[in-house]
Amino acid sequence: MRYAFMIAVIVGASSSACLANALISPGPHAAIAQSRLSATPDGQWNRLSRRDGKNVELWTLDGDSLNKVTFFGGIPVGKPLLREIDKKNRPLPKVMSNMLITDIPALLESTYRSQFSVNQIQIETQEPALLDGNKGIRFTYAFTRADDEVLRKGEGIGAMVGGQLYLVTYEAPSLYFFEKDLEKFHKLITTLKL
Amino acid sequence: MQFNTVLRASLLACGLCASTMAIGQEKTGNKEGFSLAPGTVRIMLMRPVIQVGEQSTGGMYEPNADWTTQARENIAASLHDAQSKLGNQITSYAETASGEEPVITQYSHLFGTVADSVIEYQFFPGNRLPTKKRDKGFDWAVGPGIASLKSLEGADYALFITTRDEFGSTGRKVLQIFAAMGGVSVTSGVHTGHAGLIDLKTGELVWLNADRQMGGDVRTPEGAQKRVKQLLEGFPGKPVETAALAGK
Repeated sequence: MRYAFMIAVIVGASSSACLANALISPGPHAAIAQSRLSATPDGQWNRLSRRDGKNVELWTLDGDSLNKVTFFGGIPVGKPLLREIDKKNRPLPKVMSNMLITDIPALLESTYRSQFSVNQIQIETQEPALLDGNKGIRFTYAFTRADDEVLRKGEGIGAMVGGQLYLVTYEAPSLYFFEKDLEKFHKLITTLKL
Repeated sequence: MQFNTVLRASLLACGLCASTMAIGQEKTGNKEGFSLAPGTVRIMLMRPVIQVGEQSTGGMYEPNADWTTQARENIAASLHDAQSKLGNQITSYAETASGEEPVITQYSHLFGTVADSVIEYQFFPGNRLPTKKRDKGFDWAVGPGIASLKSLEGADYALFITTRDEFGSTGRKVLQIFAAMGGVSVTSGVHTGHAGLIDLKTGELVWLNADRQMGGDVRTPEGAQKRVKQLLEGFPGKPVETAALAGK
């Protein structure tokens, strides 16, 4: 049991270290979301220790409920955008090999309806865009989660590259927070590289 | 044998982590330099956001309309009793012809989200955000837009209150017992409460009292009284506490 206690302390210490949120300093950052995605922010962000999926990485300024940039880094065909919390009762839609770029906002929408009990979500605008030279889509949306009933706005840019989905979104409450950091997101997505 | 050792160690580690988190949690914060003297400001008590329901075996929240109605009545009565003892002029928010009701409701929900972010990223020191660590201040807000609301004119501060209670279902309690027998910690029930003051000139959160394990069963008048007392503990400008502090 003495050894068990020692292992516990080591595991506990290492998991505490893993739990810490990390500083994203200005400058280039590679292998975002364990993928070939990279970005060069010109200001500081926080990378959350929490991961919502194998190839998902979260950046925030004030906490993910108040402003959140989500990097979906190369989600392969047959996989959902997020880790499924209830596969049996609330399965998530999967990335499909025949997906068009216009299916990307719809995939996000149906994922949110299942995962976050979102009753109200609207894709508001969508237009063709380039993600590091790859044909993609840029779109805006608004939604309200059932748990906190805060109206949030979102913006995303995504593309299918080499049969994998790359998508970067920014979301924040429509009151105050969305506008506060929108410009930082716009600057960030101009630096995305694959 | 080796597997057993590792398993026991892992469970112990989880326990250590959980207890460290619980011990490390703060419950109150206020903006640096903020204080209130009794009888100096006008405070608008916003309509509390109250949610009561059940926690399913799987941990999902299932709202209960009857419990929520009971809790709303009980908390309103307890707040009515408490507001005259807070040291400053407290006025309950009333709907006006301004048409601002939807945006006021959004501010109430936004306050709850900001308060929950404070719990998550400030009150748990081990989970702080690096960009917010450096100044060690209390820098949270709902934004300056709240200053332009006509229906809040005349007030210096807004007092927001939110509570969310998820009572563990029978299935959840059974799961908790079996999990404990296996050495795994499963919580049954969530009882979150936030009370916070927003400066109506700047939109800054200047005082917050918040916890995810509050006491008092809000479905009963006695429980609601206990909850309200806990929510307003340390309320700035409260005469008794000011006198007690002066005596220290």
